[in-house]
Amino acid sequence: MIGSVDHETRPRIDWLQLFAVLALISIGTAFIHSATSSNEFFSSRPWYRQPFFWHLVYGAVGAGAATLLCGIDYRALARWSIVAYWGSILLLLAVFVAGKEVYGARRWIDFGPIQVQPSEFAKTSFIFMMANYLSRPVEELRQPKVFWQAIGLMLLPFLLVLKEPDLGSALLFLPVGLGMLWAAGTPARWLGKLVGAGVLLIILLLVDILFAPPRWQFKLEDYQKRRLMVYFGIDFAANAPPAERARLRREQRAHSYNVEQALISVGSGGWFGKGWGQGQQITLGYLPRAVAHNDFIFSVIAEEKGFLGSIIVISLYSVVLFTGIRTAAQSRDRLGRLLAVGVVTLIFSQVFINIGMNIRLMPVTGVPLPLLSSGGSSVLCSLIAAGVLQNIHLYRRTY
Amino acid sequence: MIVFDELKKDDPQLRTLTAGVLLGMATLLAGLWYVQVITSQRFVDNQKAQAYRTVRIPAARGKILDRYNRPMADNYPNYRVSLYLEELPRLFKAEWRRMKPDHPMKREERMAYEATVRFRVVSNLAAQASIVLDQPVPVTYAQFAEHYNAQLALPLPLANQLNPVQIARFEEQPVIPPGLDLDVQPMRYYLYGTTAAHLLGYLQRDTKSWEGEEAEYDFRLPDYRGVVGIEATFDSTLRGRAGVKSVLVNNLGYRQSESTWVEAEPGTNVVLTIDLDVQRAAERGLQAALNSTRGAVVVMDCRDGDILALASAPSFDPNRFVPRISREDWEILSDPKLRPQMNRAIQENYAPGSIFKIVTALACLESGLDPQAVMYNPGYIQVGRRRPIHDLAPPGDYDFKKAFIHSSNTYFISNGLAAGIDRILDIAHRLHLGEKTGLPMPRQEVAGHIPRPGEDPIAWHDGDTANLCIGQGNVDVTPLQMVIMTAAIANGGKVLKPRLVDRLVPQDPLLEGQAWTYPRGLYDELGVSRRTLEIIRDAMRADVEEDGTGKAARIPGFRVCGKTGTAQVTDSRSRVVDHTTWFASFAPYENPRYAVIVMVESGASGGGTCAPIAKEIYLALRKRDTAATASLPSTAPVGKGGG
Repeated sequence: MIGSVDHETRPRIDWLQLFAVLALISIGTAFIHSATSSNEFFSSRPWYRQPFFWHLVYGAVGAGAATLLCGIDYRALARWSIVAYWGSILLLLAVFVAGKEVYGARRWIDFGPIQVQPSEFAKTSFIFMMANYLSRPVEELRQPKVFWQAIGLMLLPFLLVLKEPDLGSALLFLPVGLGMLWAAGTPARWLGKLVGAGVLLIILLLVDILFAPPRWQFKLEDYQKRRLMVYFGIDFAANAPPAERARLRREQRAHSYNVEQALISVGSGGWFGKGWGQGQQITLGYLPRAVAHNDFIFSVIAEEKGFLGSIIVISLYSVVLFTGIRTAAQSRDRLGRLLAVGVVTLIFSQVFINIGMNIRLMPVTGVPLPLLSSGGSSVLCSLIAAGVLQNIHLYRRTY
Repeated sequence: MIVFDELKKDDPQLRTLTAGVLLGMATLLAGLWYVQVITSQRFVDNQKAQAYRTVRIPAARGKILDRYNRPMADNYPNYRVSLYLEELPRLFKAEWRRMKPDHPMKREERMAYEATVRFRVVSNLAAQASIVLDQPVPVTYAQFAEHYNAQLALPLPLANQLNPVQIARFEEQPVIPPGLDLDVQPMRYYLYGTTAAHLLGYLQRDTKSWEGEEAEYDFRLPDYRGVVGIEATFDSTLRGRAGVKSVLVNNLGYRQSESTWVEAEPGTNVVLTIDLDVQRAAERGLQAALNSTRGAVVVMDCRDGDILALASAPSFDPNRFVPRISREDWEILSDPKLRPQMNRAIQENYAPGSIFKIVTALACLESGLDPQAVMYNPGYIQVGRRRPIHDLAPPGDYDFKKAFIHSSNTYFISNGLAAGIDRILDIAHRLHLGEKTGLPMPRQEVAGHIPRPGEDPIAWHDGDTANLCIGQGNVDVTPLQMVIMTAAIANGGKVLKPRLVDRLVPQDPLLEGQAWTYPRGLYDELGVSRRTLEIIRDAMRADVEEDGTGKAARIPGFRVCGKTGTAQVTDSRSRVVDHTTWFASFAPYENPRYAVIVMVESGASGGGTCAPIAKEIYLALRKRDTAATASLPSTAPVGKGGG
């Protein structure tokens, strides 16, 4: 299945991966159309202003950007990683000043016709920064100073995005950063200790948030706390006075509503699904129309194409991921290897969190499904990331 | 594994990463398989539960037909204009944008305001409908709000019972206002209004589920239940099986589409033994007798027990109960004196008066009375130490026939006492007086009363026997029982089971084979000699033909035989307060086919009030016979049975 080792020096594209990426973009376009066609808010617009068309547009722009990137050796690109990283940190800071507030969170910067989600770009530039920083002799990585600096590079965007607040996007920095650290050869026990401490911290936090008396609780945004409680099935209205309780229960239902409807969508798809455009959850509006075409696009696909559709989507992602890992293995230097590992970890984490959320394996967090979810910044960055993989693949044997 | 083949053996990180990704993707696939394949049904059900509303559709009620299949109770198409709310959200939104106040509102305030906006849209549409239909179309806020909250997925009926002009006007509208549409609903209706109202009964709104039906519905369309008469007794037959419609609703509860899950099975037709012409003649006769007559008529085919007419006056119009009876109408129905709801043919106990002398005569003749023997009547009779009983028959010599046609109390009391109370009661019991006849109206029918030996706690005196001989005192009957008695005299001693329902016929012509015909039945044999019956029949003929009390029933060429009766109605202190007048009869004399009982409360006398009514009825019956010889009305053949 995967091509034989190529001894020619002529750059070769990873066709299999390219095919998978384009297929995902096409599937995304088709199902964004399906998810929005019964939504008057979108369907009343002319076709060129509908989300499915913009998905294609961003796909094209992203593909263009990726092609351009491929024209430059990734090592040359990596020299700009510091600029990109600090640039995106600046953008993340700018969100707090100029950000557009939606549902109590500032995640977007409004540039007139287009809105940019800096956290998406921060992920890509973070991968570059991290890869660049870690591509040094393994001995250096054994120095605590280097280790902690790398951790710092990871925590900075993490905290900024967390503050937006966007817990889902923020959490993505952790597996990507840790994965890259580990792939770079950082001593496993350091990472083990760090992850152990982190998990312990999270457990303590969870216990604190969910069970501790209010005065002792760590301050979390209300919505985050409720999402957690919903995920863990805790009745957050148990101790409230009756009138308040009714209101809270309504709220709780509203919070678990999305997940429940997503589950119904996915489950009712069965083996073969109801057919494209036939998803009842969408046409009847049970799956909230505001999120169906982005965070919950997978449940639309799963309902309309069934388990077979799910298999196809999972397979396409697997192709991207495994060709990505192959690229990492075949890359000629540590930089390429780390970049590829970062991209693979990022895509994998997003896929796992997003699809996991659709089947209640993961709590609800606003993580888009790369290449499928509607959303310019996400599509663009995902394609750039794919372009990076192609770049490493292209230049793997040019020395 | 193929994905590992590409990796160098000494690259543990990438191998672990690969394993991790593989595991993650496998987890997702496993999870998806669990949700989409293993437990898929649960989610399909959940989706159904949240998106489908089941609606109970009542079946078209079976008809009630007379013996010649002429409908007496039918359904007419009720054309309605209904408002389909799912077409309105766009209008609601537009109106909301127009009406939106500038200041921000709290949630509750906003919701209340939205409700007002919705109502404005709906009342505007109702106003448009009223222009099209040229009639007021009232919608109240409360009515709309209730419908919106409870039955959003169903159309809101705005105007009922449109006439053809309105339907045409609506259909020919170039632009029908949004959301408005015509629909049709079957509605019960009684073609002849008050005719046979007591018999047919009436309906009451009721949407409960019935046995064997799915009980869980989200919505129920209006349905009716029979509360009295045939409508009540045969309710389960007539109402058929309700169907189920499922309505797909969106997340806001508006109807998206609908489909029928279970077709409603129309109810079965009930064919009565009633002959509509005879029934109407009987009612006309009753009505014409007095001012607001209170009375009853029962006509029976004395050969087989078929009830041809069962009339009670005053009557009422069962149409008034659909869709709902008004207060005024209900008050008229509850008049304490007229009591229009009462079916006087079967529902009230009456003293039979002199027509009971037929029973006395049977007992006397059977115990050896010589009909030729003559007896002097002083004009009264004294039994024991009681008050003398007055005899309307003038003083003189009486044999059986003369005594019968002049209804001599003295003659029948003397001979009755001679025959003995036991013989009289025995005859009465063999006629099954004092028992319900089993007419299929169990809630209406009363049993009457005939003393049973040893039943009365107070000792039985001859005075009681004397009273009983002339149909007074401790004896009560219904007109229906009297018709059975008269028929038994006419048909040679067969005590017939009255038959009111001839057959049940499914409405679907394809299922007509499943029709079920009720068997004709015999209660009992009277067990008296033919000679006795012959004597009484002759006496009854003479009562009409030979200047007897029943001469008003005489029809040249159609020999009516009868016996009149005038029973005293006494209050608790034995004072006479009223009379119940009777005429028990059969015809024609040579070959009796019909038995007719006429009973009128507060009549002048049996001969004066009831016999003329009977004559009217016999005229109708004679016409029926003529028509029958011209073209035999087909009483449908007995079906294969079943049901």
